[in-house]
Amino acid sequence: MIQDFLNLDWDYYGPELWTAMGDTIYMVMWSFLLGGAIGLVLGFVLYTTRPGGIFANRVVNLAINVVVNLIRPIPFVILIAALQPLTIAVVGSGIGNTAVVFCMIWASTFAIARIVEQNLVSLDPGVIEAARAMGASRWRIVTTVMLPEALGPLILGYTFVIISLVDMSALAGIIGGGGIGNFAIVEGYNRFRPAVTWTAVIVVVVFVQALQLVGNWAARKVMRR
Amino acid sequence: MPMAAHTPDRKQLAPGRTAEGAPGEPVIVFDHVSRVFGGRSGEVTAVDDVSLTVHRGEVFGVIGFSGAGKSTLIRMINGLEKPTSGTVTVLGEEVSALSEAKLRPVRRRIGMVFQQFNLMHSRTVAGNVNYALATAGWPKARRRERVAELLEFVGLAEKAKHYPEQLSGGQKQRVGIARALAAEPEILLADEATSALDPSTTSEVLSVLRRVNEELGVTIVAITHEMEVIRSIADRVAVMDAGRVVESGRVFDLFSRTNHSADAASFVTTALKDRPNAEEVARIRRRTDGRLVMVSLRDAAAVSAVLGTAGQRGVGFEIVHGGVSATKDSAYGLLTVSLTGEETAVEDFLADLGRAGDVQEVQQ
Repeated sequence: MIQDFLNLDWDYYGPELWTAMGDTIYMVMWSFLLGGAIGLVLGFVLYTTRPGGIFANRVVNLAINVVVNLIRPIPFVILIAALQPLTIAVVGSGIGNTAVVFCMIWASTFAIARIVEQNLVSLDPGVIEAARAMGASRWRIVTTVMLPEALGPLILGYTFVIISLVDMSALAGIIGGGGIGNFAIVEGYNRFRPAVTWTAVIVVVVFVQALQLVGNWAARKVMRR
Repeated sequence: MPMAAHTPDRKQLAPGRTAEGAPGEPVIVFDHVSRVFGGRSGEVTAVDDVSLTVHRGEVFGVIGFSGAGKSTLIRMINGLEKPTSGTVTVLGEEVSALSEAKLRPVRRRIGMVFQQFNLMHSRTVAGNVNYALATAGWPKARRRERVAELLEFVGLAEKAKHYPEQLSGGQKQRVGIARALAAEPEILLADEATSALDPSTTSEVLSVLRRVNEELGVTIVAITHEMEVIRSIADRVAVMDAGRVVESGRVFDLFSRTNHSADAASFVTTALKDRPNAEEVARIRRRTDGRLVMVSLRDAAAVSAVLGTAGQRGVGFEIVHGGVSATKDSAYGLLTVSLTGEETAVEDFLADLGRAGDVQEVQQ
């Protein structure tokens, strides 16, 4: 088994692996940043427009809930296919890493919206009431009470999402994207080279572990526990 | 202490307790206020046609069982709740008619402390107090000094850099008080401020509240279900039951009265435990065949003087129930005594007793 790894032509696979890792980081990073930002806003809108919320608005709340519930259950591989016309219109091409990023933004936005909402729901409403009683404006409450008070759990939620983005990015190959997933299938599985596939597995495991460690560390630092 | 510099002469600010007893100007006025909550299971009237006035400088207590509407009532003062009908006027503004944005400047003149403290866990003790100042628009340069001054006032200067979860309940509530006082409010609302605390920390927090009123001249509205709170800090009290104010007046009068309205009686009796219930009367009856009367100690000295003459007049008396407690500024109590002796002597004795305090026959 170990011999299989050593016998691989690393002069070929080395650079290939580097490129694949670069592609994965590109896809995960951009979809995380953009989906994370849009999802954060949507999550706050979902939470604050609930009945009794500081921006309570039944229509807006219901509308966003419906959209989130419609898109979230679509399996990612189907979402990629279904979004094709939109992807071509927006990105200019239906294939490649950037097209994959576009699809991943859709998936991550709605996943993050729910995670943000769920973490905000567990906030102590008394703290928000105290800020209102002090005469804080609603925007001020969002940025200086809700966000900092929910930050620890939010970091853990975002860590969960970034790891599922690594998972999604592995499907990039079906529309011509690269990344570790594509590397494992094209170079390993399709060519009957299990050692190559296993190399990809090891890289992904290390990558995900690193992300989880950073997430846990940051959350612990914020929550001081 | 620099804080005192912000505080005009206490007598001007809080004439509610001057010797003349003249009340200060009204700062909170409820005028026929009702609040109805609509729900799937029908409507609930949390506050039912309440009219009351709180004067500058006084400590006004609202007491009642949980669910009596006290929380809704106090939240209408700073507009956290809106009345369904009637008006609430605070510091000259009709808060019941103001929008959320227009309420903000009024809220900055009203501090609030909560049963569950409601401190931000992501900020230190100093950070929590500082937040209130920043919200009220204090310039950064003045905040630091003000935070130190406030923490000094509540005795937590050395805890400034701690986080709320590192504090005891009583300490958290003192931070809550410091935060509520940060922007120099004229009114402090205490929403069951001591209900989550044990008896010893309760008295620690109550003494801070008393100082807030006496040293800083802040008008306090305290809602509670604990008679202890009313007893130790309030000047006037309203008893709430099922959304209505069933009795109100000076604390001493309420506590030393024997003739409560039917609604108020149930609460006051339960809370004070100052009069024997039917079971206790039966037990007392088994021991003594004397005439049972309750005497309220409006003037403890006068009542004592009359009781002291019992022996020479041929009247035997025995205290069978009750006791004496101290309110903020006087002693009150309700004694149940059993009297024996010549019928006329007892009548005569009761007449004298009636002049010293309120006397009421115990129902057989």
